[in-house]
Amino acid sequence: MAKQYPNYDYVPCMACGICVQACPFSCLELRRTGLDTYRKAYPDLARREDCTGCGICASSCPVDAIRMGE
Amino acid sequence: MKGYLGKVLLIDLSKGTWDSQDIPETVYEGLLSGVGLGAYYLYRHIPVGADPLGPDNILGFTSGLLTGTGSFMTGRWMAVCKSPLTGGWGDSNCGGTLAPAIKQCGYDAIFFRGISPESVYVYVDNKGPQIRDAAAYWGMDAVEAEKALIRDHLKAEGGSKKKPEVAVIGPGGEKLSRIAGISNDLGRYAARSGVGAVMGSKRLKALVLAGTRAVRPSDPEGMKRLSGVFASTVRKANLPGLFTGAVFPIMGGLMGGLPSAVPLDGMLSAMMFKKFGSIMNNTYGMTNGDSPVKNWDGSVKDFPAYRALNPDRIRRREVRKYHCYACILGCGGVCDIRDLSGGNGEHTHKPEYETCMAFGGLVLNKDLDSIFRINDTLNRAGLDTISVGGTVAFAVECFENGILTPADTGGLELRWGNARAIEALVEKICAREGIGDLLADGAKLAAERIGKGSERFAVHAGGQELPMHDPRVDPMMGVTYSADPTPGRHTTSGNLYYSQSSLWDYVSWAPKVRIHPKSQDFEPTETEALRNVAMTAFKMLVDGTGSCYYAMLMGVQHFPIFEYLNAATGWNRTPDEYMEAGKRIQTLRQAFNAKHGVDVRAFRMHDRASGIPPASEGHNRGVTLRIDEMIRQYRRAWGWDVETGLPTRETFESLGLSALPGLEYTHG
Repeated sequence: MAKQYPNYDYVPCMACGICVQACPFSCLELRRTGLDTYRKAYPDLARREDCTGCGICASSCPVDAIRMGE
Repeated sequence: MKGYLGKVLLIDLSKGTWDSQDIPETVYEGLLSGVGLGAYYLYRHIPVGADPLGPDNILGFTSGLLTGTGSFMTGRWMAVCKSPLTGGWGDSNCGGTLAPAIKQCGYDAIFFRGISPESVYVYVDNKGPQIRDAAAYWGMDAVEAEKALIRDHLKAEGGSKKKPEVAVIGPGGEKLSRIAGISNDLGRYAARSGVGAVMGSKRLKALVLAGTRAVRPSDPEGMKRLSGVFASTVRKANLPGLFTGAVFPIMGGLMGGLPSAVPLDGMLSAMMFKKFGSIMNNTYGMTNGDSPVKNWDGSVKDFPAYRALNPDRIRRREVRKYHCYACILGCGGVCDIRDLSGGNGEHTHKPEYETCMAFGGLVLNKDLDSIFRINDTLNRAGLDTISVGGTVAFAVECFENGILTPADTGGLELRWGNARAIEALVEKICAREGIGDLLADGAKLAAERIGKGSERFAVHAGGQELPMHDPRVDPMMGVTYSADPTPGRHTTSGNLYYSQSSLWDYVSWAPKVRIHPKSQDFEPTETEALRNVAMTAFKMLVDGTGSCYYAMLMGVQHFPIFEYLNAATGWNRTPDEYMEAGKRIQTLRQAFNAKHGVDVRAFRMHDRASGIPPASEGHNRGVTLRIDEMIRQYRRAWGWDVETGLPTRETFESLGLSALPGLEYTHG
């Protein structure tokens, strides 16, 4: 099976940063802007090379905004 | 797992040793975590007579019980210590990203005692703590030191792959300024109680956390359901696009002019915080009388240029929103200051309302650019903007009255509204240079050093400079300023907070609010005192769980703290039972003052904040609070001695505090 990476659904995502903090390798960053009128920074996979596909980010999300996929 | 780890870390900086200590389950059941756990630990382990800046004081970093459990708006940590400002219980609350990192290292709290012979920082990861040489970082400002520590740990061979979270002091804390705070996430502050001076006294530059342990609630699915509903409510709470900052002065004038006020749904203020942050109050507070002007002796009539602080003008510099960990509101902002900083940094945290007013209306300064620079300067130096602002206002009034002269100030013309002189004075305070050295420990000590009757201009409560909210608009807050274990603080209790809390729908003994009388009609009744007890006990729950004050303001019908607690712990308790924990925490904080022989009667706030003598102009003209009567009612409602303000032994015991391991009521 190919390695799985976090894919974000930015509709439920609240930009709360829980996934960013949960990642053991700091692969995620609050850096994606332009998604709302508040200029919030949403999470994104910033260091794909460090991602192990562990899924901790997805399991930490309180609103199920992360799906692991290729 | 019940959301907490059951362990704390104690590091002795004198000996260079550390110890992981188990905390009995009954302590969490009785006092939660966060400030409750901190109060428990410090009450037991700081000896009577300990110098706040000496080796026997203990500085704690505590996470909240709900932090990291999948709950929202529960990412705040607290610094706890014996305060060098008040001489009694000290704590300070902060957002940012540190709170979950404490737990990810496997601890609910990290405590420091002793004094290191050399400057050090402490690094903690899954393997445990290491005390490391901080010579390379000592002297750096708080923002640059944090960046350097993160960079150095990420690039180190065998170093952390996880970006560490850092709590750090600036030069203000290193120089033992009693109004110094502790920074996290490049300028979010645990600013009050002088916690930064305590960290500096231990020669502890920083705490660097890189653990990756998981925190789990008892009922993950229940937690997720609660967070889903909460998120949905906040997502839909939006102001209309046409609602701009220009609306606030009109709104403040209208609301301030009403003969009485009805409770509003807390989600209304959440909408405003979501768009503007705390700066929504910059001009709103000017027209409704909430914002102190001219060192608490003026009114909006003395500051007709107040619209210079329009939040829209500040938001123009906001390049993106800033969220603390687990926040779904995002009241903070990252602002572009390249044209203001003289090459010293590109971005800074958006100044908060408190900062804007402390360096705006309080000193009659309409130069918004200067406020941005001062905010960044103080964030880097590691000083509390409220206390520095209050101390600068004190110095200006001394100068205007001839108590200070240009010979004292190094030539600075400390006149009301002189932005350049005020900025220069702030720089001197940060550097402890000239008159700045005299002022760097806050207004109370500065007045003692200056003498000449200057103490009448030192507006504080028990040594803590007052925040930017006028009790003549919110009398309950005046009681909290004067009678809380940590005096002079605006985040604990107030009429507005209570009226938005909806606590009476959840807590059997919490009195309902139908209509608020205005200050001039406010009666110091038992019912009002009981409302204050309820609000304060609730705030202790908020601080015991790592929750955010803005979540508290949404009301418990939106922010499901009681349900969150049950999902995290599995205790299945009622709100009444949780509120008992809040009462215990508050009484234990005051019992700390009793143990250490603190005369809490001296915490009574400066007369100006009570309207003694009454103002002759502005919104609060003619208002004088019956503050002493209100304080007595408050103490009685808590079961504390009405005269001394200290908890009685009966109250200590009836709350079950003496049943907790190692707690014994002691009068100093």
